[in-house]
Amino acid sequence: MSEIDTSQEPMSPEEQKIFQARQKQRAVIMAGLLLFLCVLFYLITIVKIGAST
Amino acid sequence: MTTASTTLYGLASAKDLFALTKPRVMSLVIFTALCGLLAAPGTIHPILGFTAILAISLGAGASAALNQWYESDIDAVMKRTSQRPLPAGRMDRETALHFGIGLSVFSVVLMGVAVNWFSAAFLAFSIFFYAVVYTIWLKRSTPQNIVIGGAAGAFPPAIGWAAVTGDVTLMPVLLFAIIFFWTPPHFWALALFVNSDYSKAGVPMMPVVAGRQSTRKQIFAYSLVLAVVAIAPFALGFTGLVYGISAIVLSVVFSGLSLKVALSETFEPEDMDAEKRLFKFSILYLFALFAAVVADRLVMA
Repeated sequence: MSEIDTSQEPMSPEEQKIFQARQKQRAVIMAGLLLFLCVLFYLITIVKIGAST
Repeated sequence: MTTASTTLYGLASAKDLFALTKPRVMSLVIFTALCGLLAAPGTIHPILGFTAILAISLGAGASAALNQWYESDIDAVMKRTSQRPLPAGRMDRETALHFGIGLSVFSVVLMGVAVNWFSAAFLAFSIFFYAVVYTIWLKRSTPQNIVIGGAAGAFPPAIGWAAVTGDVTLMPVLLFAIIFFWTPPHFWALALFVNSDYSKAGVPMMPVVAGRQSTRKQIFAYSLVLAVVAIAPFALGFTGLVYGISAIVLSVVFSGLSLKVALSETFEPEDMDAEKRLFKFSILYLFALFAAVVADRLVMA
């Protein structure tokens, strides 16, 4: 379960810009990591199949 | 229950999350784990070898994140650590805790699924040892904190070895012992010239509790034990001349520098040249010794 933290004051326009830039940067890095893991698990699977046959 | 924060403080930057893993320490972990993996008898597919090193590195990063989560109060007091993401106020503690636990679980599962479950269990134990036994339990309660904490840093080569062989024999135990006995002289040399910081943070580091002179003598004593342990793989016939000569030369220099520290009586950190020299050489020592293990194996092969 999640909720929005409303205990803080709203962000200023500058802070909002930094916040969105951080969100974007984290999303791009996460996408890159997921792609890397997809390739890695694909290769691990191929190696494991090769070893068992 | 998670809280979706809408504040800048609640959304850590990727750079700060990366800093949480102590990348500098991780480089030593990667290196020693790789050496353990390359020195082990037998072979491992390069993809699986890469995955093993990745899992060990992520496990080390996870331990570091959990360490910083727990120690943010100490880090805030010490000049050397005050700019880390948590004490500098760039991240909340909950984020660090979630990141550390998530990374721990992922690294262990990755190791188990891709490599073998023995090395995965070993990795899980090493994370537990660093985060709980060292950070939470011993660091604040005993001046032997570094000695026992050194064990946590000594696991990577043995885990790298276990990734290849699926077990642990005397040689990886010796690799473990090398880092274990190297850690006290390495950290105490540092603690001698940053003594004031540790006393301010209330960490019972040896120079704070036992005094500088006692610490200096203990540094020398540990350097002698280290020399014996470092030369043991050659003496027991596990390695050849390449490693044997390297270990003897490096250990003689290390013990010589430690003797200079033991004879030093300086109280001013800026005059502690012997301690600074030993600290710098200790890093080179470990890199060179582990490189020699691998070079020796390549030559013998």
